[in-house]
Amino acid sequence: MPSESALAAGLSELMVLRLLKEQEMYGYEIVQAIAVRTRQTLTPGEGVIYPLLHALEKDGLLKSRRKNVGGRSRIYYSLTARGTKKLSAMTDHWTSLSNAVGAVLHAV
Amino acid sequence: MRFEALREILLKGGIAPRHVRRYLAELTEHLDDLTAQQRAAGYDGEDAAIRARARLGDDSELAAAMLEQKSLRSITVRAPWLVFGLLPPVAGMVVSFAFIAPLVVIALLFHMATPGSIHAPGWFQELAFGLTGLGNITLAPLLAAGFVFLAARQRIFWFWPLLAVLLIVLLDLQFHADFPAPGQRGGSLNIGAGLWASHSEVLLSHWRMSLAQLMLTLLPVFWLFRKRTIAG
Repeated sequence: MPSESALAAGLSELMVLRLLKEQEMYGYEIVQAIAVRTRQTLTPGEGVIYPLLHALEKDGLLKSRRKNVGGRSRIYYSLTARGTKKLSAMTDHWTSLSNAVGAVLHAV
Repeated sequence: MRFEALREILLKGGIAPRHVRRYLAELTEHLDDLTAQQRAAGYDGEDAAIRARARLGDDSELAAAMLEQKSLRSITVRAPWLVFGLLPPVAGMVVSFAFIAPLVVIALLFHMATPGSIHAPGWFQELAFGLTGLGNITLAPLLAAGFVFLAARQRIFWFWPLLAVLLIVLLDLQFHADFPAPGQRGGSLNIGAGLWASHSEVLLSHWRMSLAQLMLTLLPVFWLFRKRTIAG
């Protein structure tokens, strides 16, 4: 069974991959999007998103490029083909996990 | 500079300098965005900056998140024996061949290296003497400086750059050009290393140059020791 921190790390990875499936984003945008979609439920220190982005890029799941927008240079991240496959596998896994936990919580 | 303490923690923790550089740049941009957001929400000046910094996370939280990612560690930290133990002799030989290669190419182009070849002209001899002399005095020190720079930027334990420099000193890279008297054919370009160098007697006779090369090669290590001593 995965540990609590492994679950949290997997959850962050899943959310980042899911958000970047829709469009390329920079770190601040990703954090804001997570806060909005989880209704502020997940609010870690915002800066901790970057090590995860770097690691996902190193694993070939994301790619990055520097882009100038509104006079500011930012690093935008987007999903690779490998990242799309991983997202699909992780989504299946989390859905079945969520159903299993839901079945236990709502039993009786 | 912003995040200076965080930079030191990450480098000492073994995170590759390029990831540290990028992380700090991204954190700086993120902090600017958060500060602007707080100002837009009605907080001003120092209040906005403090609230933004709190939302970004404190140094220990930011460092822990990065240090957790083992894949972002530098190879100099993961395998120092490879970078500072095996690489110096290999790099020394590769750089030596690369350094002498232009002379060999010129010799081939001007048909100086074929049977019945012409006598090496004066300009080529001067070029060969100049380049080999330059190589003798600069190549080992530059190589040593390169390994010390690698260690310094990753805050590597002093033993490893010292080992690399000592290996370069022991390798004792030598170049030598030799041409016969005018009118006679032939000549040679030699690369030698340490005890098996065919022209070590030449260097022994030029002990001043050998000593200068040794001092220049060791200089980067002294610089590193001094820098670390001052930094405490």
